Amino acid sequence: MRSMIKTSLAAFGLSAVMAGGAFAASHSLSGDLKIFLDTSNPAPRATMEAMIAEFQEMHPDLNVETTVIDREAYKTQIRNFLTAGAPDVATWYAANRMTPYVKAGLFEDVSDLWEDPEIAENLASTKGAMTIDGKQWGVPYTYYQWGVYYRKDIYDELGLSEPANWEELKANCQKILDSGRKCFTIGTKFLWTAGGWFDYINMRTHGFDFHMQLANGEVKWTDDRVRETFAKWRELIDMGGYIDNHQTYSWQESLPFLVNGEAAAILKGNFAVAPLREAGLDDSKLDFYQFPPITEGVELAEDAPTDTFHIPANAENKEAARAFLKFVVSSNVQTQINNGENLGQLPVNAMSSVDDDKFLNEGFTMLSQNSPGGVAQFFDRDFPAEMAAEAMQGFQEFMVFPDNLDDILARLDKVQERVYGN
Amino acid sequence: MFPRPIQTQPRAAQITYQALLPLALIMWLAPLIAVAIFSIKPDVDFTTGNYWGLPSSFEAATNYGKVFFASDMPRYMLNSFLITVPTVIGAVALSCMAGFALGVYRFKSNIWIFFMFVAGNFVPFQILMVPVRDLTLDLGLYNTKTGLVLFHIAFQTGFCTLFMRNFIRQLPFPLIEAARVEGVAEWRIFWYVVLPLMKPALAALAVLIFTFIWNDYFWAVVLTQGPESQPVTAGITSFNAQYRAAYHLMSAGSIVAAIPPVAMFFLMQKHFIAGLTLGAVK
Repeated sequence: MRSMIKTSLAAFGLSAVMAGGAFAASHSLSGDLKIFLDTSNPAPRATMEAMIAEFQEMHPDLNVETTVIDREAYKTQIRNFLTAGAPDVATWYAANRMTPYVKAGLFEDVSDLWEDPEIAENLASTKGAMTIDGKQWGVPYTYYQWGVYYRKDIYDELGLSEPANWEELKANCQKILDSGRKCFTIGTKFLWTAGGWFDYINMRTHGFDFHMQLANGEVKWTDDRVRETFAKWRELIDMGGYIDNHQTYSWQESLPFLVNGEAAAILKGNFAVAPLREAGLDDSKLDFYQFPPITEGVELAEDAPTDTFHIPANAENKEAARAFLKFVVSSNVQTQINNGENLGQLPVNAMSSVDDDKFLNEGFTMLSQNSPGGVAQFFDRDFPAEMAAEAMQGFQEFMVFPDNLDDILARLDKVQERVYGN
Repeated sequence: MFPRPIQTQPRAAQITYQALLPLALIMWLAPLIAVAIFSIKPDVDFTTGNYWGLPSSFEAATNYGKVFFASDMPRYMLNSFLITVPTVIGAVALSCMAGFALGVYRFKSNIWIFFMFVAGNFVPFQILMVPVRDLTLDLGLYNTKTGLVLFHIAFQTGFCTLFMRNFIRQLPFPLIEAARVEGVAEWRIFWYVVLPLMKPALAALAVLIFTFIWNDYFWAVVLTQGPESQPVTAGITSFNAQYRAAYHLMSAGSIVAAIPPVAMFFLMQKHFIAGLTLGAVK
């Protein structure tokens, strides 16, 4: 019940703050505005609904209709509703995940919004992720960092410090293993978690640009540089750094190993913090470090998956939809919806302020100051869906049977030819 | 190897049987027991790995409270009723009439029409997915309860007609002949003679179709989206959050969703079993 009260309080606070905002001046919009959301979790849902209610209040002549669809179901239903019965605004994801809909002409080109200096300057960090063929196809509304979340108390007990490079990471790992624990917990049952490991090891070994070349099919999977990435990965696998039988756990089922002290760290997005805190790991026990460099001189790049709003090409009220997108990315709204009581993630607007949360602050600093190489979206968003599905299957197989690497890479080459061929 | 009464078996066999029975029962029910236990656990038990142990705190009131008051579950339940009840009425009504025609009248293509109804049952429904979706779209019935009801009626009528036709065939034909001799109109024969005799079949079929439709997940996902039209089976997945699956709420939701068909089964148990075997022996 407590979280419900918190959510409604947060929602209340949100509307109170925004009511005093600077949006009163915008001219009146009318007609219907149909919004489809995939934020089906109670807390983000309340945040979104409060934000939309605020927008409605600013435009009393506009009839805003919101439909919240379960996030997983949404992924399949979007194909349906973009062609038949399109809403005016829909949530989705940045980068390659929007490619199919852009190529099929189902998303509206919103480059005009991005010409507005207020958006162009303040949202510069995510512009790349919204751009396909030199045009922008939507706006981001939230993102979050990835990195290593570790048990500070275990590190202290063993006298370890945050690793500054790959050798230190392995040295730490050996000591953790000697103490009878595992270095990293992971649940690869649903594959994507392994994609995070590949992202980081590949970006740290060869850099962001190489990673994107692979994503765009310009580099073969059997390329020696890709093999180097897997060789690095194998060093951790061979020393037994990961928990056993990880292929049978979902990511949530892999958390108990960390909570119960059987594993010392997890490579994960910031969304792991909430359940870990609930399970009793307070800030004295849980800490965060940026994935350390592997090859010296390679610029650090991070995974920071971005959630977005789009206007379907078949939308009916595009004027109101554009006004809504502008409203969403404005700095006050960004500060509010991303604070700890609402989404608890990072605002996309550089003028927004970050909530006073240890992990959000570390993430914000990391992404804004220590990610010179670029910001990736995550494996299954950067790589085309079909390629990503096969590749992540391969990563899981590699983590369990590292000797199969040649087979796996040859297979991925074939998939690559098919996926990028046409 | 015919099953013989356990009382006639040697003592050793009886003891083994008595020992293994509860064991097998628990294993068979384990998933259901898990769902029941999960539904009263707090979320944190899934992060600490306490899957099978005692709940760290009893959250039955919180979890079920959330299901009823902080989610769309009541709406989904209502949708399920609004989809299931018209389907049962529609499918049973249509199949009664079709069954009557096929069971009582002898006309040339009788057997072929009957075969068509039967053959419909052999079509794997998955292959109908794309055409049916396109059809509902063209008719403007996509994402409506009406669309779902109409499709279910159409699809279930095949099985129902088979069932009803066989049942009517078993009725003593002289009853109908006697009525005809008296000069009773055909529709009155249907209404006053045949229908009252079909009551056990009607009850059995209604119970059967109710559970079929209530438990349908496939078509609910294909033909509807969102709480304004989706039934509860599809609605349960809305507890899956962006990053986390709320196992405790999903379990509580599943239990709530399972109550109507289970209640139906226990209240109408006699008819249900009759329904399963009615068409079996001709």
